[in-house]
Amino acid sequence: MLELNALVLKAGSPPFSHRFEAGQINVVLGRNHSGKTRLARVIAGLDAPESGEVLLGGKVVTGDPPGKRSVALVYQDFVNYPNWTVFENLASPQKAQRVSAALIRERVLEIAGQMQLTEFLDRYPDALSGGQQQRLAIGRALAKSADVLVMDEPLVNLDYKLREALQVELRGLLREFGVSVVYTTSDPRDAFALGDTLLLLADHRLLQAGPPLSLYESPGSPAAADLMSDPCANRWMVGGDLRLIRPEHLSLDPAHVDDVAFPVQVLGRETNGSETFVHCQADVAEANTQWVAKLSGLVDLAPGSREIFYASATAIMKFDAHAD
Amino acid sequence: MAEVVLEDLSFRYPGAAADTLAGLNLTVMRGEAHALLGSSGSGKTTLLNLLSGLLPAQHGRILFDGQDVSQVAPWQRGVTQVFQFPVLYEAMSVAANLAFVMRDIPDKQRSERVAEIAGKLGIDSVLDRRPAGLTLVQKQLAAIAKALVRPGVSLVLLDEPLTAAEPEHKWQLRQTLKSLQQELGATMIYVTHDQTEALTFADRVSVLHQGVILQTATPQALVEKPVHEHVGYFVGTPGMNLLEGIIREGGCWVDGIRLAAIHAADGPCKVGFRPEWARIEQRSNNVVDKATNTLPVVIRGTRTLTTSRGQSLGLAVARLGESEVVTRQTLTGLETGAGWLSIDPERILCFRDGWRLTDHA
Amino acid sequence: MHDNRAWFGVLPVLLIVSFSAVIPLITVVNYSVQDIFDVDTRLFVGLDWYRETLRDPRFLDALLRQAGFSILILGIEIPLGILVARALPTEGRRVGLILVLMAIPLLIPWNVVGTIWQLFARPDIGLLGSFVNGLGVEFNFTANRLDAWITLLMMDVWHWTSLVALLTFSGLSSIPSAYYQAATMDGASRWQVFRHVELPRLKSVLMIAVLLRLMDSFMIYTEPFVLTGGGPGNSTTFLSQYLTTMAVGQFDLGPAAAFSVLYFLVVLLLCWLFYTSMTTNAEEQ
Repeated sequence: MLELNALVLKAGSPPFSHRFEAGQINVVLGRNHSGKTRLARVIAGLDAPESGEVLLGGKVVTGDPPGKRSVALVYQDFVNYPNWTVFENLASPQKAQRVSAALIRERVLEIAGQMQLTEFLDRYPDALSGGQQQRLAIGRALAKSADVLVMDEPLVNLDYKLREALQVELRGLLREFGVSVVYTTSDPRDAFALGDTLLLLADHRLLQAGPPLSLYESPGSPAAADLMSDPCANRWMVGGDLRLIRPEHLSLDPAHVDDVAFPVQVLGRETNGSETFVHCQADVAEANTQWVAKLSGLVDLAPGSREIFYASATAIMKFDAHAD
Repeated sequence: MAEVVLEDLSFRYPGAAADTLAGLNLTVMRGEAHALLGSSGSGKTTLLNLLSGLLPAQHGRILFDGQDVSQVAPWQRGVTQVFQFPVLYEAMSVAANLAFVMRDIPDKQRSERVAEIAGKLGIDSVLDRRPAGLTLVQKQLAAIAKALVRPGVSLVLLDEPLTAAEPEHKWQLRQTLKSLQQELGATMIYVTHDQTEALTFADRVSVLHQGVILQTATPQALVEKPVHEHVGYFVGTPGMNLLEGIIREGGCWVDGIRLAAIHAADGPCKVGFRPEWARIEQRSNNVVDKATNTLPVVIRGTRTLTTSRGQSLGLAVARLGESEVVTRQTLTGLETGAGWLSIDPERILCFRDGWRLTDHA
Repeated sequence: MHDNRAWFGVLPVLLIVSFSAVIPLITVVNYSVQDIFDVDTRLFVGLDWYRETLRDPRFLDALLRQAGFSILILGIEIPLGILVARALPTEGRRVGLILVLMAIPLLIPWNVVGTIWQLFARPDIGLLGSFVNGLGVEFNFTANRLDAWITLLMMDVWHWTSLVALLTFSGLSSIPSAYYQAATMDGASRWQVFRHVELPRLKSVLMIAVLLRLMDSFMIYTEPFVLTGGGPGNSTTFLSQYLTTMAVGQFDLGPAAAFSVLYFLVVLLLCWLFYTSMTTNAEEQ
């Protein structure tokens, strides 16, 4: 399957290796400029790495042009051929592979069915909604029947609600095709929603890889903890050690006698309907390092008021001060 | 800052078959932080351009403090705007950018005002620099300063101003924006497709859908009492569940089970409830009718969002006939297979022809 | 491990450049320091030809004329091109058609341009010439120096302004509409929009336009040769025409080579000056 061997994405960055499992959805999570897009392009063959190798099925493909490796790429800004219909768009990768017309038709209908595009086969891409356009772009990539499907932040340019719907839909769609997927994103929600395996990327290096839940529960570094947290984890120091608590692990009611109490001063409050984010200054934290608590439902706390947040002792993550 | 009133405002692009905006009525109070929430194609941008005066009003009126400004030029309206990406005069320093919108004001007053706003936004140190040398956040702060600096601004429009910012900066920017809004008592209209941005920023939110304002209400009311199915779906992550139901005998029923009491005319309806208001439990073999308001479902899967105290919390997905139901709950121990869905009867909402039926008994 | 294969990609370019530029240039430099009588009789003369050329009043006159011509056409074509580009509609079906129409002068062979204007401006049968004379203004570009210059300038402006306009248009269309919206809401005047929104974003295309027009006009040959033949007198004889007379007409290979080298250096110097002044300007932002 897909393997990265001592790959260096940027001059001066440390090399890293990773073996992607066949048929899995691998989510690459990192902030902007962390090297996500670069990694996607290196795997697809659009960029050459600084050094190191990309292997497909045990064969080194590092120098091979994109057309010669069994990799398909879906971009952020759903690229479709504007003057071809949905059918022609879906047929294009196989036409390039010189497949017979009957087989092409069969495959196009199959993919269109799974991508819910059957009723739009005669339309042109600009007559489709944003979500349909992105499904078409994904469908076109799947039609290439490549071993690996690389998706570079495919949902980032979509409306919030559409993104939410596709997040749920995408896992099922990709699962049906059994293709190995490398999916880059900066949204930790994507990791849980889609990922079998998660790769955390920062500064063009691999921080940690593993199943999403285990990375969430035992991050190897504060940076890894922050990547899996939106907003970032709250910090304070105990002696020479760094402590982190995730915003969603703070609550207003103690659930257990051993819970740790954090007195805070409330600075402000925001809500998205399902959750409330409380911005506060914790007594244990240094001045000017704000904390955020993520509480479920709508919670009304006045700015300036004193409150106590509680957290399970097991939820506190400990690192030595130079862990970053 | 002004009170902004839309009176029966409609707009149709030349040659278009349908109205982009149809009969909007809205009052944004002086000093209110208001959000317009809608997906792309809902008419947000058109409304924005009508408010700023970039598009002339065709039908209906726009009033600022009671004065009809429908035909007044953008500059005379005193409307300013912050765009999705920082829009500044690139060959000018930040200070010159701010001064430019106060060209008609005496020098001394102008420089005082620039210093004041720059101080509030924390960009005093970059006033002499040109935008090209600044970070994205600094640039957007400068653009916000430019929108607020002119004394006598009636209305500040914000068109998804945080789109370009990194997630960790969004929090800081939104707080800065919100506290400045309160401090200056500015009338602001924030346009976005992102419900989090809308609900966290605004005192009141208007949900725009296909050129119509479906509901204008506080964030809490939008969450708890949406007046239209689409509002229920659009606000909240994930949106409201909707099941096919029927109203008879003073109650609403789904699949022959009475879920809640309601005073409304008999007939078909949609039964709506948020993922937070319901719970799915495993159903042991063939036990029928657990309680009056509990529905048998098939659990399809779960999606963990977080873990806490050894429990995983997140979304449970189940099928009820043709419909899919999502709940937000503890997932520990939940497996695919037969399950019970129980919904808080106090919070169930019923919709007919899209609109919510009168409140419960 | 570095991949050096990329150099193979550059190789054809290096070969072409060396044949088209480097080797001829070396030959010319070689000629410019020798007095050549025939194939076997050559005499090394050092920098004599350069001294002679620099003292040649006809060379200096041609250089001055050349500089004047380039400054004039830049002064007309750049602002005019910007004006035309700003006046163009930005969307709609007409845009494509207008752009194609505007490109037509650029597609006409240069000697045809000269011939067209030669006929067009003729005082007896030319549309322009006879019309102006009909107005009672005496106009004869073959006899009057000023008339010759005016005709020449008009021809060049007609020929090349659309290039500037097309470049500027492409620059303008890359400016996001939000900048215009913001300026409208700021109450900026049309001039302020140009000065503060458009000009800063047009710098790089305008630099290209100025460079192209400067170099092209500095090496102009065909059109004035066809139109005026360099006359009346030498009043429209530019550098390249004088050079050709020298090298081809009089077979003064040595002086012509020295002339060529000097000519080349002047063009190079001009380009460098413009490029550095404009790029440092851009970096300051």
